[in-house]
Amino acid sequence: MAKDIEISNAESKFILEALKLKQRLDGRSYDQFRDVKIEIGEAYGDVTVTMGNTKVHCRISCEIAQPYEDRPFEGLFHISTETTPMAGAQFENGNNTGEEEVLISRMIEKAVRRSGALDVEGLCIIAGSKCWSLRADVHFLDCDGGLIDASCIAVMAGLLHFKKPDVTVLGERVTVHPIDEREPVSLGVLHVPICVTFSFFNPDDTEENIKGEDNAEISIIDASLKEELLRDGVLTVTLNKNREVVQISKAGGLPMEALSLIDCCHKAYGIVEKITDQIHRVVKQDTIARNQYAHILSSENARET
Amino acid sequence: METTTHVLGHVDGSSVVSNSGTKVICSVSGPMEPKSRQELPTQLALEIIVKPAEGVQSTREKLMEDQIRSVLTPVLARYLHPRQFVQICLQVLEAGESRDYTVKEVSVCVNAAVLALVDAGVPLLSMCSGTCIGITTEGKQLVVNPTESQLAKCESVHVYCLELGTNENGDIDVRNLLLLDSLGSFDESQLFKVLETGEKECIRLYTELRSVIKDKVAKDFVWRQ
Amino acid sequence: MTESIDIHPIVFPPEVLARISPDISLQRHLSLETRPCSRGFEEFRDVAINDGNISRYSTNCQNATTNNIIGSSLLRSGKTFVITSITGGIIEETLPANNTEDVGEEELMKLSEDTDRLCENSTIYPVVEVQRGRVGGPTDEEMITSEKLYKTLLHSGILKKTALAVSCGIRRTEEDGSVTTIYSDELLDEEKKINEANNRKWSYVLYAKIQVFSRNGPIYDLCWNSLISALKTVQLPRAFLDERAADLKIAIRTRGRSMTIRETYDILCDPHKSLPLKLNEGELCYGSNYGIIDIEPLAQLAKNDDEMDVDKPTSVLLADIETEAEESSILSTLSLTTNKNGQFKAATIIGGDSKITPEMIKRCIFLSKQRSKDIESKV
Repeated sequence: MAKDIEISNAESKFILEALKLKQRLDGRSYDQFRDVKIEIGEAYGDVTVTMGNTKVHCRISCEIAQPYEDRPFEGLFHISTETTPMAGAQFENGNNTGEEEVLISRMIEKAVRRSGALDVEGLCIIAGSKCWSLRADVHFLDCDGGLIDASCIAVMAGLLHFKKPDVTVLGERVTVHPIDEREPVSLGVLHVPICVTFSFFNPDDTEENIKGEDNAEISIIDASLKEELLRDGVLTVTLNKNREVVQISKAGGLPMEALSLIDCCHKAYGIVEKITDQIHRVVKQDTIARNQYAHILSSENARET
Repeated sequence: METTTHVLGHVDGSSVVSNSGTKVICSVSGPMEPKSRQELPTQLALEIIVKPAEGVQSTREKLMEDQIRSVLTPVLARYLHPRQFVQICLQVLEAGESRDYTVKEVSVCVNAAVLALVDAGVPLLSMCSGTCIGITTEGKQLVVNPTESQLAKCESVHVYCLELGTNENGDIDVRNLLLLDSLGSFDESQLFKVLETGEKECIRLYTELRSVIKDKVAKDFVWRQ
Repeated sequence: MTESIDIHPIVFPPEVLARISPDISLQRHLSLETRPCSRGFEEFRDVAINDGNISRYSTNCQNATTNNIIGSSLLRSGKTFVITSITGGIIEETLPANNTEDVGEEELMKLSEDTDRLCENSTIYPVVEVQRGRVGGPTDEEMITSEKLYKTLLHSGILKKTALAVSCGIRRTEEDGSVTTIYSDELLDEEKKINEANNRKWSYVLYAKIQVFSRNGPIYDLCWNSLISALKTVQLPRAFLDERAADLKIAIRTRGRSMTIRETYDILCDPHKSLPLKLNEGELCYGSNYGIIDIEPLAQLAKNDDEMDVDKPTSVLLADIETEAEESSILSTLSLTTNKNGQFKAATIIGGDSKITPEMIKRCIFLSKQRSKDIESKV
């Protein structure tokens, strides 16, 4: 049976006291997002995202399927987030009904799928009878907090990197061209939503809900696992580079000042911009690396611009 | 074969092994307290979880789990930890073969699991290593560690795992055949050729695994000097 | 105050010992050169196979009109019964990348055939159920056996894709209201164009439900043998399209956009006509299993002094594992699927305990060839 991780009183006190002194265990400041490392594997749509000790692997794959009857022009897109005890002993194999597991899968679903980040109409092959069914398998390899943020980056990087095989439609007949036969096609990604999670602490452990001038409340960005265990409230905002809010999730916990929400969005925007650029940069670098012989094989004439 | 050990922070042991297009990450937790239905009164219980790179677990992964279990069970010193259990999680990162085959994944999983068990410090009675072999339709050639395209041209495919150790004189000691799983069309002489070639390849892998572990131990115990 | 205590050695009757300590019980049996099931070391259980009259095409079938089972087998091995019933369905091929009838792409097809050996093989979707008198999700053993049957059949080449292709007929309604069904291989030349206009491809899919009653040992080999004998009895019903449905188009509107969608054909099965399933007869083979166990010297029954000198083998080979004692104590097993000439389709050797020597593998291969010959004569 998976057991919740317990943190000793001494350690929790230490972490909270340090937070009061503006110190975090890994030496970050309050508003510092961990450095994100994005690695791309051999196959299209194979991405590993590392943030500190958190590690998430995402694999995009596709197959031909039949579209839903009420949405004949749309392809299928499914995100699967199954936890294994590999990420930590608090996760149980095959049990995705735990509070945390459900929350993670709901958040990624909302941030990526429901926000229309992927152009599902571009997955249609023959309206009403054949379409691409795309799936993103998110594998949590190591959990040190921030699973939602890391998974969102991994899924979006995967979608941007993935290429589906080219198809030819001749009347009713669909021919799928293998990747080595014809250049595969990229997906239509409409925008890149990035999640940023804020954690709130109320170090004066009294039920101090009246927030006056001497409000000692602390808010930090991108909590590690131990900070996640101790936090009193959590807020996840999802933004894209167009300064649009995709979703905001604040499920109970410590009440927060309404205006500080704007402040959080501002802080998040800087991070979102940096990460979005990083994703684009990594994907572009990989494309160039894969295409290093393109200029030899290409027969296109150089044109004056 | 490329290997890395101790890659994950929240489990007792872990490893990443990749071999000709197949890549697996493995984690080991334990020996720890089991669920009551898993508990064995006299021996260490073993839970093996295999997750595919794409899609969810199916009967295909159940069969892989069963094969890996039959390889690892005799190798573990199970009598040392009665009423406890070890959890081995294997996440396939790159399958390197189509869904109709499992040979490459199984053989890489076995090697990854052994390294992760060593990393976790779970007592073993001996070592084991696994390889896969294909016999081509044309020419009936044995291909050790086939690539995905070579595999598709094979008439029969085989997974071969060997229990190995080193005796007091430092010689490699072949202890037992742990698993041979063959599918496709083949005959008796081909079967014995596979056994012969597999043994050589497993011994080669074993020396490779040993040197990886040697380097690892030298690095991990640097404080002792 | 001391009282003398008598120590009585506890003696268990054989059936109790077999229950509480199956390994010792097995060793005692082996030292008497017999087995808990009272068979010889290399003796197999007797096997009886027939079609069980379950299929709608069986000669004595009682309910041929309502029955949807198209192939069946009833296998009895010792006390264990295995019933296989095969049902089927028709699916449209979703990936007609290489249409067999397309002349232009013949070269491409050859190319892809060359690269992928499995693409021309087909298989069956088996569900194994071991009846234990309780309900619930499938056990690991059932899942593993099903998957093994699926994979072995796929890799064996016994069932080819061409054998499952549907050669579709057309049902015509004449002006006088009479209905006739025509099949392409029965068509007259002038009518041939009807069929060629339709370039979709269908194929049969087969499902097998394999039920095991009174399980008393490893089940994979029994299930495989039962599956093969059931496949030999399969009759595929002929299928046809209704002429009127062949060119149906439906206009739809969704979210401001409209387009016509070709209605999916309703393909129907002929209740009377059927064709036998063509198996690759030369590839058929049958399974058997073996166990190897070390003789434990301490568990041997006491012998007379003069017998002590006889040099006994340290491990023995047992054919056709039966009873719980054997199954739980024997960890080194072999499962071989072969025909009588030694052409293998699958082999699984697990060395969990006793050392498996090449001589033992050779002996098992010899026995399994004989066993295959025996089963082949009964199917």
